[in-house]
Amino acid sequence: MKLTTVCFVFILFFIPNVQSQTIDKFVDDESMLYAHTKQVNQFFRRFNGEEDRYGERFSINDPLFQNGQYRKEFINLLFDKESTIISNTLKVDFIDDVSNAEHPNFLNFHGGKWFAQVKTSFLYKGSEKECTLFLKLQEEKVGSKWVITNVLFEPFTSYFINTDSISESQRKFLHPLSHELDFMNLIKVFKQDQIIEQFAEEGFSPDYLSLFIYEFRKGSFQFKNIKEVKFHIFQINNWYFELSEFNRKGNNSGWLISNLLKIPEADKEILKRFIYHN
Amino acid sequence: MSKLKILLFAVFCFAFAANTFSQNEISPERKRAIDSLALEKIRDLSKYISIVGSKETPFSEANRVIERTLELFADDAQIGVSSLYQPEIKYYGVRSYLEHLMALNYDKITISWYNIQYISDLELQPDGRYVGVITIYQRFEGESSDGLSYKDTTKKDITVYVERKQTQIGGKLIGFWDVMLGDVRVTETVK
Repeated sequence: MKLTTVCFVFILFFIPNVQSQTIDKFVDDESMLYAHTKQVNQFFRRFNGEEDRYGERFSINDPLFQNGQYRKEFINLLFDKESTIISNTLKVDFIDDVSNAEHPNFLNFHGGKWFAQVKTSFLYKGSEKECTLFLKLQEEKVGSKWVITNVLFEPFTSYFINTDSISESQRKFLHPLSHELDFMNLIKVFKQDQIIEQFAEEGFSPDYLSLFIYEFRKGSFQFKNIKEVKFHIFQINNWYFELSEFNRKGNNSGWLISNLLKIPEADKEILKRFIYHN
Repeated sequence: MSKLKILLFAVFCFAFAANTFSQNEISPERKRAIDSLALEKIRDLSKYISIVGSKETPFSEANRVIERTLELFADDAQIGVSSLYQPEIKYYGVRSYLEHLMALNYDKITISWYNIQYISDLELQPDGRYVGVITIYQRFEGESSDGLSYKDTTKKDITVYVERKQTQIGGKLIGFWDVMLGDVRVTETVK
């Protein structure tokens, strides 16, 4: 044990002090870069009040760790200040709510209730098209990984018709005794211009991810690029916010809150569906 | 990594093995030690980029440094580069990125680094390795003989894989944490 202790002390002297290290030749103007929220990870840390302004983690025993007043000041800096869609009243209400001394709200990387929206471009059957992928963090037996949950691709979505838009009198169906005729009337269902969605079961919703995988396998898709990434966060009770990356001059740059809604928990599913289909 | 460093780091890890964290979990103390090791690799990478980019570096030396740089990276690592005028990400292999840097048509190139780095948490991935991202900033200045100059500041988000490995020292199997660099995202920043 003594040897271990001696080794430990010895090694401690050799572990470099990260902050005092220099890489090569440095540029001194870095205050803006400190202010930028450089990673989504840093956004979570800043939101929770778990690091100082230089990005150094607070120890759990530090009085500033998750401190309500400290968070109140810091979260205010995590908004896109150039946005006009978030009113100041709503922002103050949100900050007061999440930094509330008795029932504070924190973000948790592994807490679920958040997902990514990634705008990409693909060559689809020879021409460049935009395709939006939705991804969520999935917990595994060991660790976690991002998985694709949905795809939004205009050539797919434009193929499907919302059957609610067809009037009752115009709706077609397979009558309840079709089986007695060996479903011979299917020939009418599959007439070329027929809207076949109306013959699908109630609640049918197209699975664009399966379509995407099918088309990809067939060789119709060729990946080109990533265009934009943003996140939709539903973790805070009765709130939703959007997280986007800004690359601009000044301190208000990096990952920032770009949209904020006060929304009852019961309505969050409707909002998710809206995001998934728009 | 030199054998001495492996030995020291292994002993360091061993010293902590008896605490409440299991062999494959990372305690805050160990996380700090791994961060230091990862930063050491990042510093090596930064130094190598500066050497490869410099017009004063002889061709043979630059090629030798490229080989050293490749040793820092996992085999399939890619570098994705975008600029303010070319927001589309261009993908390069590490070798091709460095060769591209070496071939830039400037008479004088200065690469400098901001004294700032941000280290993410380490997250466990399904294959048992940990992954993190370290963000650093680089300033590039290129001058041509006709007096034209180009300057940019780029943000580099560098993937870091941390894996528990074992090595035999004096007939004993000793566990240590090894660090490899992975994909790098390079973005030009507005300054």
